[in-house]
Amino acid sequence: MHLFLTYTIFGLVLGGVYAIAASGLVLTYNTSGIFNFAHGAEAMLGAFVYWELRYGWGLPAPVALILVLGVFGPLMGGVLYLVIMRGLRETAEVTKVVVTVALMLGMLYLSEWFWNPQKDRTVVQFFGITSQVKIFGAEVSTHEIIALGCAVLIGLGLRMFFYRFRIGVAMRGAVDDPGLLQLNGHNPERVAALSWAMGSFLAVLAGVLLPPISGGALQANALTLLVLDAFAAAVFGRLRSIPRTFVGALILGLAASYVLAYFPKTWQWASNFRVSLPMIVLFVVLIVLPQDRLRGATVARTRERAHVPSMRSALIAAVGLLAVVILLRQLMNDSDITTLTVGMTFAVIALSLTLLSGYAGEMNLAAVSFGAIATMIAFHIGITGHGLASRMTLWGIVVGVAITALVGAVVSLPALRLRGLYLGLATMAFGVFLTDMVLMDSNLHKLPLFHTKFSLFSAGAGINSLVIPPLKVGPLDLHDGTSFLVTSTIVFAVIGIGLVALRNSSYGRRLTAMKDSPAASATLGQSLLRLKLSVFMLSAAIAGLGGVMMSMALGSVTPDNFSIFLSLSLLMLTVVAGISYVSGALAGGLLSGVGFSLIVTTFHNLASNHGSVHGLFSFLASFATVSPALIGIGVGRNPSGWVHDMIGNFRTLRTRPWVLAGGAVVEVLLYVLSLTKVLGHWWFAILTFVVLSLLPMVGQMADPEGRRRRAAEVPLEMVGIDSPYDDDLRLTLDRALGIEELAPVPTSRGDRPRTAAAGGGNGRVAPPLSAGVGDAGA
Amino acid sequence: MPALEVHEVSVRFGGTRALQDVNITVEPGSVTGLIGPNGAGKTTLFNVVTGLLSPSGGRVRLHDRDVTGATPARRARMGLARTFQRLELFTSLSVRDNIRVAGDIRNGWGRGHRINVAKETERVLELTGLGDIAGRDVADIPTGRARVVEVARALMTQPTVLLLDEPAAGQTEQETETFGQLLGRLAADGLAICLVEHDMALVMRVSGILHVLDYGQILAVGRPEQIQNDPAVIAAYLGGAA
Repeated sequence: MHLFLTYTIFGLVLGGVYAIAASGLVLTYNTSGIFNFAHGAEAMLGAFVYWELRYGWGLPAPVALILVLGVFGPLMGGVLYLVIMRGLRETAEVTKVVVTVALMLGMLYLSEWFWNPQKDRTVVQFFGITSQVKIFGAEVSTHEIIALGCAVLIGLGLRMFFYRFRIGVAMRGAVDDPGLLQLNGHNPERVAALSWAMGSFLAVLAGVLLPPISGGALQANALTLLVLDAFAAAVFGRLRSIPRTFVGALILGLAASYVLAYFPKTWQWASNFRVSLPMIVLFVVLIVLPQDRLRGATVARTRERAHVPSMRSALIAAVGLLAVVILLRQLMNDSDITTLTVGMTFAVIALSLTLLSGYAGEMNLAAVSFGAIATMIAFHIGITGHGLASRMTLWGIVVGVAITALVGAVVSLPALRLRGLYLGLATMAFGVFLTDMVLMDSNLHKLPLFHTKFSLFSAGAGINSLVIPPLKVGPLDLHDGTSFLVTSTIVFAVIGIGLVALRNSSYGRRLTAMKDSPAASATLGQSLLRLKLSVFMLSAAIAGLGGVMMSMALGSVTPDNFSIFLSLSLLMLTVVAGISYVSGALAGGLLSGVGFSLIVTTFHNLASNHGSVHGLFSFLASFATVSPALIGIGVGRNPSGWVHDMIGNFRTLRTRPWVLAGGAVVEVLLYVLSLTKVLGHWWFAILTFVVLSLLPMVGQMADPEGRRRRAAEVPLEMVGIDSPYDDDLRLTLDRALGIEELAPVPTSRGDRPRTAAAGGGNGRVAPPLSAGVGDAGA
Repeated sequence: MPALEVHEVSVRFGGTRALQDVNITVEPGSVTGLIGPNGAGKTTLFNVVTGLLSPSGGRVRLHDRDVTGATPARRARMGLARTFQRLELFTSLSVRDNIRVAGDIRNGWGRGHRINVAKETERVLELTGLGDIAGRDVADIPTGRARVVEVARALMTQPTVLLLDEPAAGQTEQETETFGQLLGRLAADGLAICLVEHDMALVMRVSGILHVLDYGQILAVGRPEQIQNDPAVIAAYLGGAA
């Protein structure tokens, strides 16, 4: 009984803290329509800032609390909304997800930059551990009572705020119809900014309360993920209802506490189970959640635009890619080749996102986890030979990919009835569950009927890793680095061409239709369930293939190679590069697979080699770790991605062939210099990047006409939004609206010859208004 | 036998009664008009008929079969098609592909004969007069024409019952004129059309029977000339005492 009471109280306290965090999440989602994946990271930053003030600077607890809760929290939320989130209206759901995911990763890197993760930090309970009271014989610390009290106050307070206060009622209306809110005399921007400030305050409060309860240690990763658990509670309230969110949070807290109390210590998986419990709950809640009403697109149109390449240009691009890779191969040493191969396999995984998110508008936040499944299957059934002579068989890969597709179906099926964000959450729950439970399984199990021993993720002796040998099919042996690089490039190219063909097919059009308007698709007779299921399976299969190839390229994999953060940053970089395009998948995959880690290592090496400017280089290295997140946050400004923009800029160069030729000559020169070792291959890469970025600018400078023509390609109503608004455009607009015909405003004297309209052909008509004004003044 | 029967349908949103015991029948080969002030429940009724919204009471029958619990897709396969008042076009596709994809979806039904999508697309483009803008991005065309694209898209599934939600809003006078003729031709081919529209001239011209909806209830049913002189209808529209 005593045990029960102690753990019940502990569970309630834990649930209370979850509830505080979860209600903040619900609040911001409801006022801005953005599901904030960085909510946990905000709590984490809050906790670290509190630690710094309290123990770093030695401020008394009340002062530190006032600064953190009263200033830092609200300020962070308000600034985040005004600087970043405000720009996300009318973007696709995946863009919104990516921006907050980028924010989460950015905050995580930032905290590691400021607060070295190697150093231990602890936060002590308020009033110390000894300050406690007895409730029916169970000891409860003052800190726990405070936490519980905060939860109760916030629950009641939010309820009152939403129903009694004018601004609270306005907040409830903000997400449904900001326009209507504005007509009623509210400023939707201010309402949303306020809600973000409140949400951030709640996150920080949870972040300050939580660490002392769960042991006292302050760890950035764990804290970010621990408050991710609040997601489960928020989904329990269908992301709308605060009371139900509280109930969900309490159930979650109690469940975690009881598992801790009552699961036998001999169950080795129990601690893994406790860690992934919230994700399991999240998954179950998603399954039993009632079906969402099929609604039309909530916005008339999103700002993302995708153009479909023709098969011919896809083929040319594929051949070009292969040629470039083979040429680059000549410049590289063995380890570089492996690195590029890993990047290429990441690009294959990114292709699964192009299909799923870019074409079908659905979401998978755990693409790399599907690669783990294929890897495990291939490891268990596909290896022949021993030691260095062991090889992966084609059979192993085929079965692994097929089973991954089936797992994809099982994961997505419950969430398919729901809308995009829920599917995203379900995949994330699956991904975290997989890394925390399945991939951590390095113990030997006995299969009851067959009496064979196996463990899910271990090469033996309890070591938590798998050794994956390269593939050998007939004469093709991927043990050779070059063969592997070329093969993975060909695999990428073939799947890429396949995707372009698919996008141009009847199936691809139906996917696009579903993405643009599920309601219209359904009323035309499309079974959305079947379509979603098929595309999710196909996408999981591609991710599985990419994952198994990645494992082969790495040679040996640990659970860290399939972490959820890896999936998230892959998604982020692919969206930034352009998730609707195969080229975007290539860039996103290469960047997340190799790009940034290479840049960081380079800076670190430079820092250790050049002692005098050590500070600068290590700053650059730290900055480089944060930069992908900054880029991700910037995606709100250009949701279609930059790779396609870049290609578009090159297309305009066709009218200036000598610019292209000049660029080609410079490139060939650089290549030869690098091949003959005059130029280091890093210099080659940097200079190539510079040349590629400068070429379109040179072309533009040489071709003012082209600029005007391109501006004219933007549909008129988007002028000033999709393109800069300058004098040329004003003229174009005047012409389109027929204003130049009005140019000769009849004057009282009638002495002005009517030439302006008649001579309209030259296009340089003075703005009509100024002409009229000038006449009046004369 | 009516193609579509709405029987005693009611819908409640929280405390608000959006529809209350509504009865409507739509006959093949005719245009049935449905008018009423904004907020009367016309679009809600369409959502119930197409299955996007479950009614709190009442039945929907399509070709004499009860479809009240059927999914939107199943109803479409039974010959139901609609357009949307707040346009639901596939904004990343061209005008032609918006129409073509409806044919693709139809061929994916897995029942009945398959149609030649390319040929049928061109026929529908011709029929609806969209040929001149077929290659343009659907996001860049004027609202009036976008509504015609929705009609064309619906026609690609070769429906037997067609629900049109304010198809003439945003059309020019000339476009409305042409559109009225198109409706007449479609009805003459045997299609059962239910038309929600605020352009009274168009509704009065093409409708055989008119239903008037007000505050979620059917106020009057009759031929256009009867409706025009109905005191209750005049009161609902003009706000005066009947």
